[in-house]
Amino acid sequence: MTTVLRIEDLKKSYRTGRKSPKRDAINGLNLEVNSGQILGLLGPNGAGKTTTLKSVLDLVSPDSGNIWLFGNKGISAEARKKMGFLPEQPYFELYLTPRKLLRYFGKLFGLEASAIEARISHLLNLVGLTEEADLSLNRFSKGMLQRMGIAQALISEPEFLILDEPSSGLDPMGKIHIKGILEDLRRGGTTILLSSHQLSEIEDICDGVAIIDRGRNVASGSLDELLQSEEQYEISLLEPLHDFSGGFPESASWEDEEKRGLNVKREDLNATLKLLMENGGSIAEVRQKRLSLEEYFINRVETSSERTEK
Amino acid sequence: MRLLGIFAWSVVEDAMHRKVFYIILVLTMLLIFLIPLLPSAQLGVQVDLMRDAALGLTTIMAFILAIIMGATIIARDIERRTIYNIISKPVQRWQYYLGKFLGIMLVLAFTLALIFVVTVIFVFAKFHLFDPGLAKALFTIFLEASILTSLTMMASLYLSPLVCIFLAILFYVVAHVKGDYLYNLMNNGNPFAKVGAGFLYYILPNLERFNINETIAHGERVFRVGAMDLILLTLMAAAFSCIILYLGVYLFSRRDL
Repeated sequence: MTTVLRIEDLKKSYRTGRKSPKRDAINGLNLEVNSGQILGLLGPNGAGKTTTLKSVLDLVSPDSGNIWLFGNKGISAEARKKMGFLPEQPYFELYLTPRKLLRYFGKLFGLEASAIEARISHLLNLVGLTEEADLSLNRFSKGMLQRMGIAQALISEPEFLILDEPSSGLDPMGKIHIKGILEDLRRGGTTILLSSHQLSEIEDICDGVAIIDRGRNVASGSLDELLQSEEQYEISLLEPLHDFSGGFPESASWEDEEKRGLNVKREDLNATLKLLMENGGSIAEVRQKRLSLEEYFINRVETSSERTEK
Repeated sequence: MRLLGIFAWSVVEDAMHRKVFYIILVLTMLLIFLIPLLPSAQLGVQVDLMRDAALGLTTIMAFILAIIMGATIIARDIERRTIYNIISKPVQRWQYYLGKFLGIMLVLAFTLALIFVVTVIFVFAKFHLFDPGLAKALFTIFLEASILTSLTMMASLYLSPLVCIFLAILFYVVAHVKGDYLYNLMNNGNPFAKVGAGFLYYILPNLERFNINETIAHGERVFRVGAMDLILLTLMAAAFSCIILYLGVYLFSRRDL
């Protein structure tokens, strides 16, 4: 598997006011996105997600560190030919029509006129704006503009797509639509780096996540690896154990009223299993508990904050 | 070159969708049409006065357009973040910057050409006089506007549009009066004034050299503006514009967006 993007020890600080001291937006960030992967970039507000994306797109100049794109160091125009970008809340010249806007962006990529026209038809169909192709954008809703943003990001059939909050401003149907588009792109082999606050979106679409806090990558890996808790276990029983009334270690708790499953911490696992078997319980399965992304995210950000404060 | 053309044309299209462009253009033409109604215009020197006033109005219009467009064309893209969609594409920042500059020059060239045609037809209809000499004055107005545009564009990278407009007007005034005034101050003022005046005298272009309105208004009866004069003025404008554009491109390439 080839690495599409590699960021190494990236640092960037900003001055918020003329006399104010510099504040670190990114502080030694390392990140890798592999070919064909959909990587979700998560982090609280001000964690450095957007600055990271801007650095990759050459919109800001990092203070230090290295960025490799498609195996080459630096951000060349050649690398950007293979990339598409959707900024958060994209804004366009509103007198333009979708067709004219996409034609303009197609020309910036140096595409042939006939290829641009074919691509425009395909993309407008993809984002559901074929009928609005010749209406000016000032008649568009926020959601429609967001869909135009996605269309412009895809104009060059990018190998690597960077999306900053792609579902921002979309209604539930719009979100489902975008999810479908991203899944199609994944099947087509497009590599995607997706920054979002919507954990459910990341969990649904992404293969892996990187959690950024205070400009550092505090956790990254595949969702399966990260969400598998080493501390919590789930015990499933073949039959409900209604008669059992007590004596479990403090960390053990029933999953529901039916009493067919138990959650327990690792240190209490053996004691809990012994108690269950002594009381006639039939163990069906013991497995590591899979956390929700929300649980994992909160846990990691809190741990990172505690470490920084110490 | 292809990308410069795309960016330049986007400025032309943008201008054509701005009401302020049409308001300035129509107002200028309307005032030109109204010049013969001025009381003093009926006293005998109508043609000279007509030309002088028309060129004066055109100068103001061209500089307003140059300063407003220079101060806002990139600043607006940055403020509205439309620039993210552009710079993230396979384009170089200098291509975007120079393309925008060329676009403003195209708009100015188009506007001045339109005013030239309208004024020549109007002068011909009113005084039965074909006056292609006006084109020379309009050309020098264009040259001067190119310096003003490059300067306001550079300032707009770090300053708000209002501050840029104020600075451009200040630059225009100082660069026009610099000749005699600064020279006198440099030789006769107090030590601080001497240093300040000397600095401005040598660093600022003498924009008054571009002002041939009066000569053209009087039908070049006293002085003639020859091809060599126009070539020298073109070289001077090109030199100043290129230096300022180079600085602008350098600043823009280092600016975080």
